[in-house]
Amino acid sequence: MSYKDKIKTDLFPTIWCPGCGIGLIMTQLATVMDDLGLDKSNTVMVTGIGCTGRMGAYMQFDSVYTLHGRTLPVAEAIATVRPELNVIVVSGDGDLTSIGGNHLLHAIRRNPRIKVLCNNNEIYGLTGGQTGPTTPVGTKTVSSPAGATFSPVNLQGLVNTNPNAFYAKTTVYHQGQMRRAIKEAIEWPGFAFVDITSQCIENNGRRIGFPSANEMLNYYKKEYRQAPPGSTQLANHQLGIVKGKPAETEPVPVGAASGNGSGEA
Amino acid sequence: MAKRLLQGNEAVLLGAVKAGATYFAGYPISPSSEVLMAASVYAASHPELRFLQAEDEIASANAIIGASLAGAKSFTATSGPGYSLMQEAIGYAHKLGVPTVFVDVQRVGPATGMPTMPGQGDILQTRYGSSGDYTSIVFYPSTVAECYEYTIHAFNCAEESRSPVILLSDAFLGHLNEVVDLDAIDVPVVPRTLEPLASGHTRLFSGVATYPDGEPATADGDEFIRQYEEAKALRLEVADRYAFYEYGWNKDADTLVIAFGITRRIAQPLAPHFALFRPIRIWPVLQDQLREIAPRYKRLVVIEGSDGQYASVVERVLYRDVHRVPLLGGRMSLEAVREGLERIGLLPRELAQATVS
Repeated sequence: MSYKDKIKTDLFPTIWCPGCGIGLIMTQLATVMDDLGLDKSNTVMVTGIGCTGRMGAYMQFDSVYTLHGRTLPVAEAIATVRPELNVIVVSGDGDLTSIGGNHLLHAIRRNPRIKVLCNNNEIYGLTGGQTGPTTPVGTKTVSSPAGATFSPVNLQGLVNTNPNAFYAKTTVYHQGQMRRAIKEAIEWPGFAFVDITSQCIENNGRRIGFPSANEMLNYYKKEYRQAPPGSTQLANHQLGIVKGKPAETEPVPVGAASGNGSGEA
Repeated sequence: MAKRLLQGNEAVLLGAVKAGATYFAGYPISPSSEVLMAASVYAASHPELRFLQAEDEIASANAIIGASLAGAKSFTATSGPGYSLMQEAIGYAHKLGVPTVFVDVQRVGPATGMPTMPGQGDILQTRYGSSGDYTSIVFYPSTVAECYEYTIHAFNCAEESRSPVILLSDAFLGHLNEVVDLDAIDVPVVPRTLEPLASGHTRLFSGVATYPDGEPATADGDEFIRQYEEAKALRLEVADRYAFYEYGWNKDADTLVIAFGITRRIAQPLAPHFALFRPIRIWPVLQDQLREIAPRYKRLVVIEGSDGQYASVVERVLYRDVHRVPLLGGRMSLEAVREGLERIGLLPRELAQATVS
């Protein structure tokens, strides 16, 4: 088997722009899926609105392409009804952390066994490059001509409000580390969030001074460093996986005990 | 089981269970909260019913769609602003063709309005609340026993029509306690129709217009129309089998009262003086039945808990004027009905005298 068996290559070329980082995520996800034996009888994909959400259409699984911002309640319900399935959420930073922010807050709290891959390109790409919840302060975009005003959302801090949760930081340049992060997330017995910095050359990168996607990847190579082993918190531009203490109770698809008792003995 | 005292909202939960529901998600909101509470209590001792008290109504609505795709018969219950928040998800369920049930226990709106007072102001929202075109199926019972019965029909119809079906109720009916014998109500249950996720396919359940292979069809009007007409035809065909209504009272009277839900109960003392048409299937509107029955009467009066929402629909269907008795501000009482009839000169002398005595 090959990772290509997980992808509908007959639908290529994708709608993604040349130089887009999403394909690099899809390749690593497909590779991990192949390694772990994920197939269309044991895995469901749930994707949100944005360029990233198209990934579900390109992969060999049943896939739910949700409303904007609503991946997490859909995914959590699937995981509750069918606890034996691998439920993989793939979406962008705007979908997951802005319009879907309230669901993220509460999914983290309830700790369902769903795996979230966040394509974090720091911009609203599909709609033309407006500033987003992860856009660094000062970045000029088509909706922040004087530079983005507010601090980006602290994803690591949010996820780690649940001591049982899993947070990984990676970039599309660091393919091996990204593959490891995705693999460990899928194997994690609870909520896992993989925060993947990735380039949107057409609707962000070129406007902030990168001539091509290659320069953006080289920038990630230069700027990002592996966190020291055993780090419990990642500094800015540090790569690594911060794992909480796995919840002691397995997720049970049971009435009033829905969720998996996060934070409870 | 013997007869028992049961509340309208609890009857909805029992009807859902009878229909085979195995997933409930909801958010507390008056006057529907008893459905959520009853679901949580039931689920605690019946693990086959999964229960989620979600962070909001948006999450609830999307969760029941995910649950249905995963293989569970699912439902939620809400009211007023909560129902407004669910509109986007209802459109999404229509687009995907997902069987699920939304229960709307109406209160007085708009906005937070009068949270504990009954209203019937969501009639048009249940038809047109989400953006775009879609074919809604909506039922509205009038008694606690019917809350149970039509909840089962709603689940059955959702399965057959592959769409989100709305069960309307109201603060009055939801909180009404009546003696019922549920065993006397026998509605056969329609089994699951949608093949669950991860059954070995590679389907794309997409809110975006797509071709069957998953490629975007976002600029192909012909494909859009083909899919829309196909969904519409299925839903209308199925709805035909659920054309529930009541026609009665004094059929020889010269005025036909149209009332539904709790309003039909409130208006019961009018029975000797008027004929009654009670739509139970609110949408699709019972056009054929109205067109057959209404011409027998000199006057039509719609008594409803909104400022003429259903009356405007009847006018449109029949091309004739309709008298209106709107019961607003939660004043859903016989007194308000009398006042309304008097205002339009249709209050029978006997009922006017009853007011005096």
